[in-house]
Amino acid sequence: MGSGRPGDGFSVEQPLWRAFSAFRLLTALYAVGRYAGDSKYYDHRLAAWVFMGVLTLWTVATMRVFASPERCGWNWLSADLGLIVVGNLLTRAFDSPANLAVAVTLPTIRAAASVLGFALRGGWRPATLAAVVVGLANVAERGRLDWTNAHNIVLLLVAGVAIGYVVELARAGERALATALEIQAATRERERLARDIHDGVLQVLAMVQRRGAEVGGEAGELGALAGEQEIALRTLIGEGLAPNPSYQAPRRPLRKPGAEPDPGAEQDLRALIGPLAGSRVTVSAPGTPVLLPDRTATELSAAVSAAVDNVRRHAGPRAQAWILVEDEPGEVVVSVRDDGPGFAATRLGEAEREGRLGVSQSIRGRLRDLGGSAEISSAPGQGTEIELRVPRQRRS
Amino acid sequence: MTTDQPAIRVMVVDDHPMWREAVARDLADAGCEVVATAGDGREAVRRAPAAAAQVVVLDLNLPDLPGVEVCRQLMGQQPAPKVLVLSASGEQADVLEAVKSGATGYLVKSASREELLDAVRRTAAGDAVFTPGLAGLVLGEFRRLAVAPSPDDSRGPAAPRLTDRETEVLRLVAKGLSYKQIADRLVLSHRTVQNHVQNTLGKLQLHNRVELVRYAMERGLDDDR
Repeated sequence: MGSGRPGDGFSVEQPLWRAFSAFRLLTALYAVGRYAGDSKYYDHRLAAWVFMGVLTLWTVATMRVFASPERCGWNWLSADLGLIVVGNLLTRAFDSPANLAVAVTLPTIRAAASVLGFALRGGWRPATLAAVVVGLANVAERGRLDWTNAHNIVLLLVAGVAIGYVVELARAGERALATALEIQAATRERERLARDIHDGVLQVLAMVQRRGAEVGGEAGELGALAGEQEIALRTLIGEGLAPNPSYQAPRRPLRKPGAEPDPGAEQDLRALIGPLAGSRVTVSAPGTPVLLPDRTATELSAAVSAAVDNVRRHAGPRAQAWILVEDEPGEVVVSVRDDGPGFAATRLGEAEREGRLGVSQSIRGRLRDLGGSAEISSAPGQGTEIELRVPRQRRS
Repeated sequence: MTTDQPAIRVMVVDDHPMWREAVARDLADAGCEVVATAGDGREAVRRAPAAAAQVVVLDLNLPDLPGVEVCRQLMGQQPAPKVLVLSASGEQADVLEAVKSGATGYLVKSASREELLDAVRRTAAGDAVFTPGLAGLVLGEFRRLAVAPSPDDSRGPAAPRLTDRETEVLRLVAKGLSYKQIADRLVLSHRTVQNHVQNTLGKLQLHNRVELVRYAMERGLDDDR
């Protein structure tokens, strides 16, 4: 259904008008038949036959006009209504004044077809007006308002109002559908454009980074910025995950706000750690999801964030960091390595006491809570590495 | 060391004209012979045999064919060129598939000109070009194969396994160490480190080929019935 243009193939309009045109013809034939049966009650039978002939001819001749909303304007509808009114009034002129057996007018229910035309064209209000006009003509023909014509007038009003109202509803529905289809088409087009544009923008950003790095100096800084934005944008487009372009460790890892904590739920650790990637942080991970229970994944990624933060604080803002996520059968291992100056293994305890590795305490604490471990190793000139291990619960 | 050798014949495949030209220019400036460029996968596959490139620098993000498919088709040609995937970050699964189907190197687009030239030279020489990201993917793939349920019948190939040394080397690559740093740390020669890395790729690609053949044979047997 997505292929149709608005209004294509859904239109209620055309079938309605065709049905209306057919209804006009059928009612005209009914009127002729009815008159054939009733003609004995009339004084001026020939004149009445002439009118029936005119009515039939008019109805047949205008079938095409009344079958389409474009051609059938108010003037045609008014002319049709006029003929019905004339027919109603002529009934009084043609039949024998003494005879009240003629309960119906010459056009009879052909009048209803005329009213329906107004309903189709303009909804329930014009239909009401047309029904009232026909009703007045009826009353004029009878010379008084009695139960019979009151009954007919009410029926005519009900039919006109109901059909007019339904037509209005159908049109409104159709308009809503058309609007929805337009919005859908526009959205699809926007998405396509966004993909194209984004891809172009990403390429340019990557290029700026590459050239900037070659030129060096201020251009290099600019290039690094462009590179971070490229990764950020790509992550945004690719996974809808907001990455962390400013290389700021998120203290509260991503969690849907207001989401019920579900102890059994699992999260892909890669999705939590991935946003840490930037021009100075490389994230390496398996190609398949690394699933951990919700809380474990959150805690572990918070520890990784802290470790990356630690790199920036102690190894300098220019230090590179590499994060490696490994999914082993029994445990998940995340290593964070930097290319900072590092320190001798003998100084590890000392450094820790000095608070140089203050963050490592919180990292160790987190890992202990998860039943895992955090190991720090370093060598002068080889950077510092912290290895976080979290045992995996047996999957049932 | 490459000065006396004839220029490396390179083909550049990227749908983005800016990148295609920049990469081609960089390579040409450095003395490579850019024998062809292509903006989409079909064009690349069509032109590769005549161009007889030694190295195809391939962007996986192509408009008409998946880059992995292009890689597969290039590998089927005689003689098959070496494929260096030059791709943007964030296309990890594709990169792994491309490597499994025969690409021997991977470089992110943000890599510098020197890194690109070095990667092309090493690819032409038959060396595997790894990034930390690729090493992480390959490690993950071996682990996945190790724990994946083995094929129901014993005729199926056993899952390939890494030796402890290979795992150790790959982990260090994934943590951003250069081959030289790895060699220093493990007290190995640079060449040995290179060989270990190469072997891991070889095992993965062999396994992939065996799997494909097995799949084809099963299909063939089914069709005969």
